[in-house]
Amino acid sequence: MKKKLIAVLCCFLFGLCSCSENAPPVQEENAERGQEFEPLTEIKKEQKNIYLVVKALNNSYWDVVIDGARSAGEAFGCNIWYGGTYSETDWQYQADLLDQCMQNHADAVLISPDDSVMLAPKITQTYSEGIPVILIDTIANTDSYDLCYMTDNLIAGRNAASEMLRLIQQRDFQDSDDVNIGIMVGSVASQTINERLAGFFQFWTQNAPENWKIIPDIISYDGNTGLAEDLASEMLQNHPEITGVYGTNNGPTAGFAKTLKAQNRTDISIVGFDYSESIAELINSPDFSAATMLQKQFDMSYEGVRAALSLIDGEENEIKFVDTGVVTVNRQTLSSPEVQEVLTRN
Amino acid sequence: MNRTAKEKKELSYMKNGTSFYIIITIFLMIFSFAASLLIAAFNKLITSHDKRLSEELCSLISEKMNNSIRYMTDSAQNVASVLSAQNFSSPAEIYESLAAEQSGSYVSIGFIDAEQKIYASEQELKEFEKWDLLHVAALADPVAISAPYRSGTTGQPVFTMFSNFQYGSGQKGWLFVTYPLREIQNIASSEALKEEIEIWLMNAESANIIQCAGPNEYSIGSWANAYLAMRDINPDDKSAYDQWRGRMLRGEASATLTYRIGKVNYTQVYSDITYMPGWFVVVRLPGSALTATMSTFRNQVLIFIAVLLTVTVLMVIIMYRRNVRENTMLKQLSIHDPLTSVMNRRAFDFAAEQRLGRPSRKEACLLFFDVDYFKQVNDRFGHEAGDRILIAFSAALKKQFEDLGMISRYGGDEFVVLLDTASKIQITALLDALTKEVHQIRPTDNEEKNQGFMLSFSAGAACFPEDAETLGELEQCADAALYIVKERGRNGYEWYQKSDKTEQQTS
Repeated sequence: MKKKLIAVLCCFLFGLCSCSENAPPVQEENAERGQEFEPLTEIKKEQKNIYLVVKALNNSYWDVVIDGARSAGEAFGCNIWYGGTYSETDWQYQADLLDQCMQNHADAVLISPDDSVMLAPKITQTYSEGIPVILIDTIANTDSYDLCYMTDNLIAGRNAASEMLRLIQQRDFQDSDDVNIGIMVGSVASQTINERLAGFFQFWTQNAPENWKIIPDIISYDGNTGLAEDLASEMLQNHPEITGVYGTNNGPTAGFAKTLKAQNRTDISIVGFDYSESIAELINSPDFSAATMLQKQFDMSYEGVRAALSLIDGEENEIKFVDTGVVTVNRQTLSSPEVQEVLTRN
Repeated sequence: MNRTAKEKKELSYMKNGTSFYIIITIFLMIFSFAASLLIAAFNKLITSHDKRLSEELCSLISEKMNNSIRYMTDSAQNVASVLSAQNFSSPAEIYESLAAEQSGSYVSIGFIDAEQKIYASEQELKEFEKWDLLHVAALADPVAISAPYRSGTTGQPVFTMFSNFQYGSGQKGWLFVTYPLREIQNIASSEALKEEIEIWLMNAESANIIQCAGPNEYSIGSWANAYLAMRDINPDDKSAYDQWRGRMLRGEASATLTYRIGKVNYTQVYSDITYMPGWFVVVRLPGSALTATMSTFRNQVLIFIAVLLTVTVLMVIIMYRRNVRENTMLKQLSIHDPLTSVMNRRAFDFAAEQRLGRPSRKEACLLFFDVDYFKQVNDRFGHEAGDRILIAFSAALKKQFEDLGMISRYGGDEFVVLLDTASKIQITALLDALTKEVHQIRPTDNEEKNQGFMLSFSAGAACFPEDAETLGELEQCADAALYIVKERGRNGYEWYQKSDKTEQQTS
């Protein structure tokens, strides 16, 4: 009885006094997390060494970024080393690569941060070592960098909305007609996607006729690309009144495009991002009303290398952010030199 | 000191009726229940208090944000007034004057003349074109503020203010000042609850939001859209949210909303921004923000009460145990014969009367024992040896009768045993065994001194209810039987016979 009483008392006190503490996350050890620096151009001793850290390797988008750096290295006569991670979230590996840049006394670093917040301290440290830092594709939440070359996604979203308006107007919709736009996003947490969404809303509410609405029920596949087609079908089923669809990134765009093609919904306009086979097929078809926004990732790294060399030479830049812009690809612009140039590079 | 099972049973009346530990447990349960009620009441109080305070706090912060924006617009208007008062010969001179004053927290400052010519850096000119800022300038009456955008100069989110003024010969011009978005937060910042409060600018029509302050300082300047950001709102709160946004769309100056996302309750307040039509300051505070502070206090009070309670309970237990020890000692003294450890006469009489007085009483047998010639033992071997004899005799009694009844020293060399059986065969066998054992008892350890000594006893037995139905009568019967044994020369036992005829058995 006495022992039981003490046990009850202990439990009571423990219950009152205890506080939960989350166990620290276990650091995943993975030897194959990424690739250490390898030469991208012919290495010559007398040339400056510029290190490129990309978000993800073995990825067609980032292959173009690497091509841009290689072309610039060859064009401007500098050594380009490149490394990166196999996932777009492994910022710790990128931090290790930045440590190597400092140890190797890099003349300049081009980096696309996997995490704008978590990698900010390491970028700051690299910058404070006196190494010029150029951000590519994605900005970091720090002032400690020299230049950032990326798409201004708010503008890109506005351009997408502008193109959507044009496509619908092209289909002879009048201001008094009811128009409904459905939106699918790939993630709710991505700053890039959120800016493209905000830009779209911004332009649409400022420029679309009053009866041309965006369906408030925005759907997200939350990183699970495989769900894109199912969600697209569900949206078309739930909203038979839909006039156009907008995908904020490649996954939703491809999902919408495949669904429209499969259901032969030529009555629905589509605007998205990137140039997947699915969207390309719709753009090339005279039956569909389709367009997509193409980023200029080749320019990001090409111009980044050029800017790095200027900084190494002691030139000062007046700006910190360069919007490399997007090109709108539709049936009319498809054969334009600008679009063809970007498509060729991509 | 061992007590026989029968003794324990018969003396159980002397224990407390309810266990002390049960009382303590009940007390703790009642205390826990009362504490739970107290906590629930406290939590309810905190929640209602939080809700009211959160609303007021959000309103105050949104007002503070608005004031900080107004402070900026006032500054821009003041500069514009100064420019109006000066007699510049050309717009270029105005711009040179502004460029010379480049200082302060703004990113850039410039001028638009009556011909819509923009006097600004090359980068600023690009921003004007990219974001159609001339369109915003045209709305200035006397001030207009652009939507936030990312500055090429700093790479950070900024917004531009326009203030119109007269220059030269009454021509209309616009001063513009571009501020980092962070500047609003810097002016409106507050140390209190800065880890909890989120501040956004929200456009009513597009539902676009941009963060000005929040727990993560790196998220300042992040865009989102409320249609997506609020998609996880509790379904029960959706209509309240729609009403709240409806009031914003209708241009009402401010409104408050409470809702839940997951397990978190939020209070959210908006207020309109002068000179930024369609845009509102939104302040959001999780319900836990204030509760967390109060909960710390509540937990400290509870810990204090728990410690106090524990100390009190421990003190009571210690005092209780000390009391039990003393009571046990007193009971031992009052129940047992201190020399032989068997029951004393008073305790035996009480217990025996209880036993025989029960409605469910069963047959029993009372045995009266006398140690034969005990006085001679004392005289020959001394009192110490006498005590030794009594202790050994009582031990022999216990050995034979302990499992069957209660044993008592009635006084001097007299012992009495009350057995829960009246089986003469069983008792006779035990008495015979006792006789043999008692014969082995020696007064000293010295065999020489013990030479020729043999201890014996005389006993009289009477049965209940066959011979008598009360203890007193039973004792008289057993005593009568004992008398016959003594008369016969001791060293034996006898059963009481009602006809006064006794059956004698010799060992």
